[in-house]
Amino acid sequence: MSQKNREGEVLTGTTILALPFEGGVVVCADSRTSTGTYVANRVSDKLVQLSDYIYCCRSGSAADTQALTDYVHYYLSQWSLDTGRIPTVKTAAHLMRRLIYQNKDQLQAGVIVAGWDPVHGGSVYTITLGGSCLELPFATGGSGSIFIAGLLDAEFSNGMDMAEARNLAKKACSHAMCRDGSSGGVIRTVVISADGVDRDYTPGNDLPFGPVAVW
Amino acid sequence: MANKHTTRPITTGTSVVGLVYDGGVLLAADTLLSYGSMAKSFNTPRMVSIADRVLLGASGEYSDFQEIVSRVEALALAETTQSMESVYDERTLSAKSLWNYLRAVMYQKRSKMNPFWNDLVVAGFENDAPFLGVIDKLGTTLQENLVATGFGGYLAMPLLREKWRPDLSEGEARALLEDCMKVLFYRDCRASARIQLAKVTKDTCIISEPYELDHSNGWNAPSMQRAVGDLDGDGGW
Amino acid sequence: MASSGSGYDLSASTFSPDGRIFQVEYATKAVENAGTVVGIKCSNGVVLGCAKPIHHKMVVATSGSYKRIHTCDTHIGVASTGFLPDSRVLVQRTTEEAADWLEQYGGKIPPHVLADRLGSYVHYFTLHGALRPFGAAAVIAGHDPDTKECSLHLLEPNGAPYRFYGVATGKGKQAAKTELEKLNLHKTPIAADEAVKQILRILHLLHQESKDSKPIEVEVSWICEASGWKHKGVPKDVLKTSEDWAKEQLEEEEEDDDDDEEMEEES
Repeated sequence: MSQKNREGEVLTGTTILALPFEGGVVVCADSRTSTGTYVANRVSDKLVQLSDYIYCCRSGSAADTQALTDYVHYYLSQWSLDTGRIPTVKTAAHLMRRLIYQNKDQLQAGVIVAGWDPVHGGSVYTITLGGSCLELPFATGGSGSIFIAGLLDAEFSNGMDMAEARNLAKKACSHAMCRDGSSGGVIRTVVISADGVDRDYTPGNDLPFGPVAVW
Repeated sequence: MANKHTTRPITTGTSVVGLVYDGGVLLAADTLLSYGSMAKSFNTPRMVSIADRVLLGASGEYSDFQEIVSRVEALALAETTQSMESVYDERTLSAKSLWNYLRAVMYQKRSKMNPFWNDLVVAGFENDAPFLGVIDKLGTTLQENLVATGFGGYLAMPLLREKWRPDLSEGEARALLEDCMKVLFYRDCRASARIQLAKVTKDTCIISEPYELDHSNGWNAPSMQRAVGDLDGDGGW
Repeated sequence: MASSGSGYDLSASTFSPDGRIFQVEYATKAVENAGTVVGIKCSNGVVLGCAKPIHHKMVVATSGSYKRIHTCDTHIGVASTGFLPDSRVLVQRTTEEAADWLEQYGGKIPPHVLADRLGSYVHYFTLHGALRPFGAAAVIAGHDPDTKECSLHLLEPNGAPYRFYGVATGKGKQAAKTELEKLNLHKTPIAADEAVKQILRILHLLHQESKDSKPIEVEVSWICEASGWKHKGVPKDVLKTSEDWAKEQLEEEEEDDDDDEEMEEES
């Protein structure tokens, strides 16, 4: 019953993205959670912390992705306890991949795992619906991502600094929220680097781009 | 409701093409991963080196390929760690045993109505001879001098059959495979011009970095440049 | 030991009145009767060596017989001594732990974690009346691909893993430790090729000093840049030149000793 939505399922028809910059990554998400066409939560938080320096951007079933991030958080804590170290993003992505791959028939989850670790610095992984795990230069996900693929291809570059990356993330997110009916609300971002994490909130009336300004 | 498993691929890679030439085996595959019709990743290899002289390439569902690779890597590692020979005698997995093992795996999976959605190509060099074989998602195996999975079976195979000789040099083999990859790039919606070559010979087993095929001479024939949509044209299609 | 221990040495599950577990001590004794294993943590890697006594003239003394040094993962080498079947179980367990970790977390197990886990396993066998402690010790050498560091651990039958700059276990433990201490490894670590020489010198020295003249065969392995940070047997040519050096060195030392003795006699 993999592809059909379960009845009454709460879905985060979503825009999520992760962009790396010199020394870290920024993760970004809209805040709309819907059941059918009703907005169940207009200020939800799709950015979940898996460990001190690793975040997960969730898309798909809210219940499934919540359960998954809980598990990965638990496994990573166990890993840190065993090794006495900060977990790597690669390990977090591997754990997420295993869970999604092995339960692909029961799950509706597409997530981005991104963060910083002392071994590889900032890195970005995406785990797709079927459980493929890909390390990418940058990642987008959710229903909104298709509307901003071209924008990011044109404007993303590898040498960005933190402010450039966050601004681009917010700009792209606002464009997706504009064109995707299943994305909307506010923009949340988290900047992750060796210095720690920095959250940022952009209210729905203050987006970088909106239909009001043009046409 | 019963489990449906992988009865539909999600993140996919397209053709793998390979041939035996004089002194080795050469494989080619592009590095595009598709998510439906969306190009999800442009730089993901679909050919890996498993043991010393063994290559494995795959088309189809990428998550299944990742699972197969981790299983096979664990098997190759066990070959070393379970050895009771001296630390100097390194036992490695041979291409032919990998090919046979994968047949069993693929057949078992499909018999549980839950196939690994891949067509696999195994290449190697052992006992002074090149080895090239395929396993499809049903567990069917073939050992051949020419192989092509996915769209390559339709578009590359005829070209390979026409041009292949057993005494093909490495340069000729490479040119032939690049030709096939170019045709696939032109005619397969899920293919890209960014490809990798992989080679096994008696002495080496290497996978090239991804590189861009030169298709600059593929768009300039007068018949292509001629506009046919104007009022004085035939309308074309 | 018999006086205070009588009656308290039949099971690992009972302490003696003076707080000892005799079964574990006996197991340690079993290790002290078996071939010597020496390990050195180097400035640029880690080296393992062991001397295998050839018990019988008719045994096929290839380097595969009595295998004592095992590769448990590409980055982990284990040299074990004691009862051979017991050490095989230890090695098997090490291999499984490493493989399980790789499957679970998608990365190589850090050597110190492996040593801890193997410690818990061995320790478990010191807790139960129905179990016999391991009559084997393992020296674990590992490279951590995340931190790029090498480390050396010793695990004895009591189940407590310790980390070392240089370590020895088995029959020649005491003498080997004395020799290792002379190298001052904790202050001035030596390079891997130098460690191969020193290990061979120590193993041959111990063999010369020991009363039984059973021939030995030597196995040496390392993890260093030259081996691609993988656990590999030290190349045979390196082994050969190092062994020549070691034997030469020992001959010289012997001559010096003879001279000293003569001098003493003269004075």
